[in-house]
Amino acid sequence: MSQVEVVGCTKRYGAIAALDNVSLKFVEGELFGLLGPSGSGKTTLLRAVAGFIDLDHGQVLLDGEDIGPIPVHKRDIGMVFQNYALFPHMTVFDNVAFGLSVRKMPAGEIKSRVDEILGLVRLGGLQERKPKQLSGGQQQRVALARALVTRPKVLLLDEPLGALDKHLREEMQVELRRIQREVGITTIFVTHDQEEAMTLSDRIAIMNQGRIEQLGPPLDVYEHPINRFAAGFLGVANFLEGRVVSVSGNEARIDLKLGGQAVAPADGYRAGDSAVLAVRPEKIGVDAGGRSAGVNQLSGKVIGAVFSGSSTTYRVQVDDQVISVFQQNSTPRRFQPDDPVTLHWSPEHNVPVAP
Amino acid sequence: MKRKLDIGGGIAKTYLALVLLFLYVPILVMALLAFNRSPLYQMPFEFDLVWFKALAENDRLLNAGWNSVVIALVNTVVATVLGTAAALAFSRYQFRGRQVMQLLLLPPITIPWLVIGTAMLVFFYWTFPLMGLRPRGLHAILLGHVALSLPYVIIVVGARLADFPKAVEEAAATLGATPWQTFWRVSAPIIAPGVVAAALFAFATSFDQFVISYFLAPPGVTTLPVEIYTSIRKGFTPEINAISTIIIAVSMGVMLITARFYKFGGER
Amino acid sequence: MSPRQRQKWAIFGLTGPAYAWLAVTIFLPLSAMLYCSVLDVSPLVPRPASFTLANYAAFFQKSFYLPLTWWSILLGFWTTLFCFLVGYPAAYALAKRVKGRWREALFLLIVLPFWSNALVRIFSWTMVLRQGGFLDMALHSVFPDAPAFNLLFTYPAVVIGLVHSYLPYMILTCYVSLQAIDDSLMEAARSLGAENTTVFRRVVFPLSLPGVISGAVLIFVPVIGSFMEPRILGGAKGATLGMNIEEQFTVTANWPLGAALSFTMLAIVLVIFAVLYPILKRRGVWA
Repeated sequence: MSQVEVVGCTKRYGAIAALDNVSLKFVEGELFGLLGPSGSGKTTLLRAVAGFIDLDHGQVLLDGEDIGPIPVHKRDIGMVFQNYALFPHMTVFDNVAFGLSVRKMPAGEIKSRVDEILGLVRLGGLQERKPKQLSGGQQQRVALARALVTRPKVLLLDEPLGALDKHLREEMQVELRRIQREVGITTIFVTHDQEEAMTLSDRIAIMNQGRIEQLGPPLDVYEHPINRFAAGFLGVANFLEGRVVSVSGNEARIDLKLGGQAVAPADGYRAGDSAVLAVRPEKIGVDAGGRSAGVNQLSGKVIGAVFSGSSTTYRVQVDDQVISVFQQNSTPRRFQPDDPVTLHWSPEHNVPVAP
Repeated sequence: MKRKLDIGGGIAKTYLALVLLFLYVPILVMALLAFNRSPLYQMPFEFDLVWFKALAENDRLLNAGWNSVVIALVNTVVATVLGTAAALAFSRYQFRGRQVMQLLLLPPITIPWLVIGTAMLVFFYWTFPLMGLRPRGLHAILLGHVALSLPYVIIVVGARLADFPKAVEEAAATLGATPWQTFWRVSAPIIAPGVVAAALFAFATSFDQFVISYFLAPPGVTTLPVEIYTSIRKGFTPEINAISTIIIAVSMGVMLITARFYKFGGER
Repeated sequence: MSPRQRQKWAIFGLTGPAYAWLAVTIFLPLSAMLYCSVLDVSPLVPRPASFTLANYAAFFQKSFYLPLTWWSILLGFWTTLFCFLVGYPAAYALAKRVKGRWREALFLLIVLPFWSNALVRIFSWTMVLRQGGFLDMALHSVFPDAPAFNLLFTYPAVVIGLVHSYLPYMILTCYVSLQAIDDSLMEAARSLGAENTTVFRRVVFPLSLPGVISGAVLIFVPVIGSFMEPRILGGAKGATLGMNIEEQFTVTANWPLGAALSFTMLAIVLVIFAVLYPILKRRGVWA
């Protein structure tokens, strides 16, 4: 098991910074998710760790040693590529054995190592197939086995499940998690799928424009986003703007632009500050009728309702803003478009974020 | 519905059979007459191998055949190596002049061989003596054949390289393969079918080539097509049928064998 | 060396040999021939030469060059037309009406002759077309009283031989573009109420036109320059511009005239394409 650290990494392409002074420590044995929109620098960071990119500034440390000058093939990494990059002319066995055979391992040992790893990814019996004859999920497992069989120090996954359909993706998420736990390898993976990042990762980093916006366990980042981008990219958030009226103890009173007041965690606010609160749609309750707005309450009109089995998502027009509300279908109450409603939530669900 | 489609398929197959008849009948007639005893192609048909025996003693034809094989083989090696190298450069690097260079492949393909062949004759006549070479001869013929084969090799190998999954080379590197190992164990085997197809194309282009050789062959030194042409014009015997039959049988045989390994249409 | 420099050398090393070869064998010879075409004395004659345009003028002054050229263009036209008439339906049948192993086998059989010697294939037609040849015998076995039948050394013989030589090109290019047409397009047209013939005329044929055009170019250009085929199958009667050019180099040794005629022929081909280009462009063939 090994730990990876990137220090002050910068990579520019012309005027665009793909990586802008990124520093990050990947802990031994953790599964770390790099999440962000395309062009956010997450893939560049992964490829810098792999050694495919010459950084303009900064270092990549593997167990404290700077591996910048070391070429890719001597770095002892395992990588799974977006479309798996299986060798089309080799069988499953030869694909998996490749890393061992370029290391000149004796044939007998190769055979036992390959059999062992194919057992781990549950692909025993398909040794002689060519990649073309495998399903997407099976190809994914071969790619994973091939990356793991050399017992690398780090495993890098580039959008590992992106090419699979939804059902298979969920299945493979569980598999990936199990295999990573069993092998105990430090793993960094890149994804643009927030759900995948939350399901899989021990920790995530949300990246945007070559910088890390927020870093932490998925639950922390989800419940306590520190800025608009993090709140909006990981999950859905409603942003309520306003101005701080008073602060007492660890509570701040905020006048909302949409009308009414909110009570939120003080979070360093002082009276007179402008504030943005993020409120998750599932934390908001809906009641019938347009009562006058009280604290942590807004009244508005339903403009859309999307039923999706276990839940319903409402879109509620409040003044000039549309608020998303997510309701479990355990309550018998249903609202139709044009119904006047009152929205309410508890103070602790107001999350102050940087504008 | 199914019935109707079958009838359509039947008509299609019948028509294709007629086209094949048109394509193969002359070749079959010619081959058949190679086994007929009469020197004047007269009927009735009497099976005899006399023309193949005569061929075995015809030094001129055999010599020309040998020249053709040697030139085709050297041409294949040279054109495949040079063409593959150029195709690699086009697929690996973006550089200024790349498109112009690719456009330059069109003239050798589209200008009639008659024009190219005579142009070579003029140019070689002026320049080769300066280097102490004769303007015509097997060396000139080889130069010309490679020129005609090169654009095809670059295009065929280039098409294969365009489909090349670049990530597999990165994958090989992450698995610990050196650039050298990556090339020989991953890249080369994936490109190989394209190179083999290009090599076959180069061989066929050269072995088949008549026009260029015709202008660049001095008296007394010939390739097989030139020798056959001369014989046809001088008044021919079924020996020509015999050698033609051998050529066609061998080239079709080679193509059939390769077709088993490689899909020419690139489709199912 | 910096990576940039290294890349430059790599490009130079990889493309250099191939393009040096092409320069020596294609581009310099063409330039040399252009130079030769404006000389008043053949390089074979040991006499100082000066520049003249007389060789180009000869093309228009001598009465037989224009008919000869027209003859060659017609030969190209007829060959291309018959290749299309025979080859397009074959390509269509192969691409849209035959499936599976049959298609593979038939496709292979059609391209196979293409890999065998062109000269030999032309020669084989003499066996079929001459008096007492295969066709003559076949005719007389059905009609014993028919007059002697000899097509060899006629214009049709040249066209038949050329069509036979170049047919696989047309089938191949048409097949490739027909095969690329998704069957669902035809089904979509049918679902919109189009009849079979309309589907073909409005959807299939326009989409396959690029294949037809590239096939036509691949046939027309070399046929214009052909001399071996007309000589073997047409004899003295089938004289073409190509045959005349060949004679200037091999028989009369008037290289400057031959060179000028070669470039005139190239110019004619270019003019034909220049005239056709706007029409083809409008039809979206080279969009």
